Parts: sequence; structure tokens; C-alpha cells
Amino acid sequence: MYRSQRLSLRYYAAAVTLFGVMIVFGLLSALYYLYPSLLFNVFNFSTSKIMHIDTLVIWLLMAFLGAVYWYLPKELGREVEGMWLAELTFWVFCAVVIVVAAVFIFVQYGPATDFTLWFINQGRKYVEAPRWATIGIVVVMLVFAYNVVATCVKAHRMTGIMWVLALDLIPLVLVYLDAFSYDRNMSTDLYWWWWLVHMWVESTWEVLIGCVMALVLMDVMGTSRRIVETWLYIEVMLVLGAGILGLGHHYFWIGTPQYWLSIGGFFSALEPLPLLGMVIHAVYDAGAHRLKTTNRPAFFWITTEAFLNFIGAGIWGFMMTLPQINLFTHGTQWTVSHGHFAFYGAYVCGVIAVFYVAKQKTSGAAYLDGKAWKWAYGLLNIGMVGMVMGLLLAGMAQAFFGRAIGGSTLMAFTTASENPWFVSGMYARMLFGLMFAAGYVALVYDLVTSPRRIATPALQPEPA
Amino acid sequence: MTPESLLETAVLLGLFVLAGGGYGGLYSVGRAAGRPALIRAGRACWVGALAIAVVIAAATPLGVGWKLLILVSALVYAVIPPVTWRYLERTHSDEGLRP
Repeated sequence: MYRSQRLSLRYYAAAVTLFGVMIVFGLLSALYYLYPSLLFNVFNFSTSKIMHIDTLVIWLLMAFLGAVYWYLPKELGREVEGMWLAELTFWVFCAVVIVVAAVFIFVQYGPATDFTLWFINQGRKYVEAPRWATIGIVVVMLVFAYNVVATCVKAHRMTGIMWVLALDLIPLVLVYLDAFSYDRNMSTDLYWWWWLVHMWVESTWEVLIGCVMALVLMDVMGTSRRIVETWLYIEVMLVLGAGILGLGHHYFWIGTPQYWLSIGGFFSALEPLPLLGMVIHAVYDAGAHRLKTTNRPAFFWITTEAFLNFIGAGIWGFMMTLPQINLFTHGTQWTVSHGHFAFYGAYVCGVIAVFYVAKQKTSGAAYLDGKAWKWAYGLLNIGMVGMVMGLLLAGMAQAFFGRAIGGSTLMAFTTASENPWFVSGMYARMLFGLMFAAGYVALVYDLVTSPRRIATPALQPEPA
Repeated sequence: MTPESLLETAVLLGLFVLAGGGYGGLYSVGRAAGRPALIRAGRACWVGALAIAVVIAAATPLGVGWKLLILVSALVYAVIPPVTWRYLERTHSDEGLRP
């Protein structure tokens, strides 16, 4: 095993741990909706929500970095260049996360001063980490970019996947710098903040997970390089063609010019079309391999990613993306429902597949299967579907009673929050959230235990 | 837009994409498994998607531009599964991988 693959395993361990922290704070945040006076004057809801969302961003980012460090030596046939820097920044990354989490939990907030901005909370949603920590993350991204580019240069080899990854590193570093800027004008500030959220977390990450999935598909399904690179180029084309201007659906109600209604609505409406193509591709590959693979958990998670991405981003997104509907739905639990489903489908399923690839290689199992992964798969998926259905119900109640009938007043918001449809949706979310947490426990159990020896069935695809 | 039409329109939009996805899913499973009945069921889903698009165009308060976009999308949905499938067959043909 390469040194960078050992580093990758550390990244995976950190990612899985933060996945658990995210779930804990997700459950806590869900409890506040049922018991609003919970932990009153001890631990406020907004900090719990910050922990839930920020750990989501960080654990996925760590998993992506881990996946690239895993596949880089295999792709280029040599050890990653600058490993000591990569290892150092991993520990720096972990230390930053621990210190920031401790500050969020024990200090929580400060006065509106530069000290708070630099050392407690910089107050920008999704990137609340104080400024010193944000600089730390930029350093981690720069070292990661150096590792990738320097390894390609030293190896004197550039594959199509590596070209896409190397070019994606530019926005991965540059767009994140948007986390530092702020403007006193709320509209201007949100305008650029959405670049960070949409362009960095959605577009740039989409390309990054596309590169990772291309490598996983070659590994798990034995798909040829020519095929995965062709689809990767198509994905990049779609991201550039529709994904960037899809940003417009975030600009509907923040004070930007009215033409964003048409641009955002139009390009967002196109988004389900490529996702449908992904579903067809997943079915084709599953049929081509007759559901036979040496790594069943990874295979099922990859296939599930295509379906849940279509449902979460495609169906859930299209329900509320047109401006006339979005006027009533934005900022309600309806949006939360879409966000949970889309993130889970687009990223989480793929990342879990990557974990199982590493498990198979490290355990030396020729064939990976068993019962525990099926429990994790079932509980996580049913838990997530149940949560998003509960959130959808609650969000519809908010849009109907609070926005469309009540006219978005504070009183209407309160009335909608006490409506039985909203409350029952929140209870359903909590219940299925617990199921999701049980799935996480099963996943961790399965990842850390040695696989049972299972005879390898015939007709396994050879890795490319 | 009335409160009732808000929910009706949103649900119709969701069902429209769901029916399109049902077409893609059933069509491709039917092709992979060599079961024409599933392909026919998939096409029935597309007819459902088209019918929903017509209902959206006729009975919801969405703007004319959005209604046209949805009707055109319904037509585009018709070609995505077979065109994607043919493309997949072509790209995979050299690998000897066929469902």
C-alpha cells in the first residue's frame, strides 16, 4: 500500500467520525423543533444547526480528499509528491476542526467585533468557521492542489481524469476564497455568498465527485477508461452549460435584477434531464454486469447514487424551482427536504461506495458481501427517505399556511409552526432520523469489522 | 396563485419529473432484461408525463413561458432513454459488455 493510501485511510476515518457528529447535531437540531425551549440559555439552536451543516461540508470534503489520495498513485503509477506536506496538513486540518468545534460548542458566539470574526464565528452561513480556520482550510486545499499537480508532473503522465481533476482544483481553491469576503449591502453580500455555496459546494464538488466516481467505476465495475472519461467530459460540459447558470435559482429573492427569475428558472428546469441520463446509465451498467461484482456494497451504493440523485435533485428540485412556486417555498422545510435528499444522492452514496472500495483493498477480501452492509444500506436509505418525506410535509404546511394563506408574517410563521401537519412532519423527521442514525452505526460496524471469507462467485469483472 | 393551486402545481411538477424518471427507469430495465412489457410500461409512463405536462399547461397559474418549457421538456423526455441507450451500446460495444 502506498503512503498516500495510508493517509487516505486516515482521511476516511476522520470523515466517518465527522459523519457521526453531523448526525448527532442533526438529531439535536430536530429536537429543537419538537421542544423549542430545549437547552434554553445553555446551547442554542443556531449553533446546533451550524455544527450539523459545517460538519456535513467538512466530512464530505475530507472523504473527497481521501478518495483522491487513494487513487492518485494507482492512476499515475507512483507515490504522491510532497507526502510529508500532505500528512502534516491532515493533522492541521483535524486540529482546526477540533478547535473550531470546541469554540462553537463552548463559546458559541461573541460581540460584533473583529475578534469574533477572527476567533469565534465569522457569521457566514455554511462557512461560520472563524477566519483563522478558514485560512487553514485554504492552506489544506493549496497543499492538496500541489500534491495532485506535482505528482502528475513527476509522473510525466496525464490521463483525461487527471486533466479534469487538475482543472477543477482551480475553482476548488479560488472560489473558496469567497468565504473571506463580505459586503455591508445584504444583496451584494448574498450574491457573492451564493457563488461559494453553489459554485464551490455544488458545481466544483460535482466535478470532483465525478472524477472520483470515474476512478471507482473502473475499479469496482471494470468499466473501461474510454467510457468513464467520455461521461466525465459530458458531465463537465453539463456543469459548464447548465449548472453554472442554475445558480440563478438562488438569486430569486435576494434583491438581484428580475432577469434572474428567467435565467434561474430556465437552467434549473434543465437539471433533471442529465440526471435521467445517469439513471439509464446506471441501469445499463447494472445489466451489463448482471449485478455481479467483487464488491457488492460499493456496487449498490454507486447504483443508488444515480437514482437518489435523480429523485433528490431532479424531482424534489423541480417541484420548487420555478419562481412562482419558489416564492412560497424558499426558506421553508420544503427546501430543507430537497437539500437533504440532493446532498445524500449526489455525494453521500458515492462517498460510502468509496469507503467500501478501501475496505476491500485493506482487508484483502476477494469478494465483499455480507449482512451488516445490507442493514446499513436499508436503514440509511429508508431513514433518509422518511426524513425527507417528513420535511416535505412540514414544508408544504409552512408554504400553504404560513406563506400562501398567512402572507409570510411572523404571526403566520408561528401559526404554521403549530399546525398539526407541520408538527407531525417534524415528528416523522425525528423518528426516521433515529433510523438513519441506526444505519450509521451499522455502517461503522461493517466498515471496521473484518469481512467474512466468502467464496468468490464466477464472472467477476476484472479491474481496469 | 391561490394556496390550493400552489400545492397542486408543485405536486404536478414533481409527478411530471417522476413520470419521466419512471419512463427512463422502466425502459432501460426492460432493455437490459429483454422484457418488452417493461419497455411498454415505460412508454406508458412517458404518456403519463405528457398528460401531466398538458394538465400543467391547461390548469395551473404558471406563466406561459414556463408552461411552454414544460411541454418542450415532455417531448425531450421522449427521446432521452432510447438515445442514451443507443449511445451506451455504442460506447460499450468495444468492451463486449452488453446487458
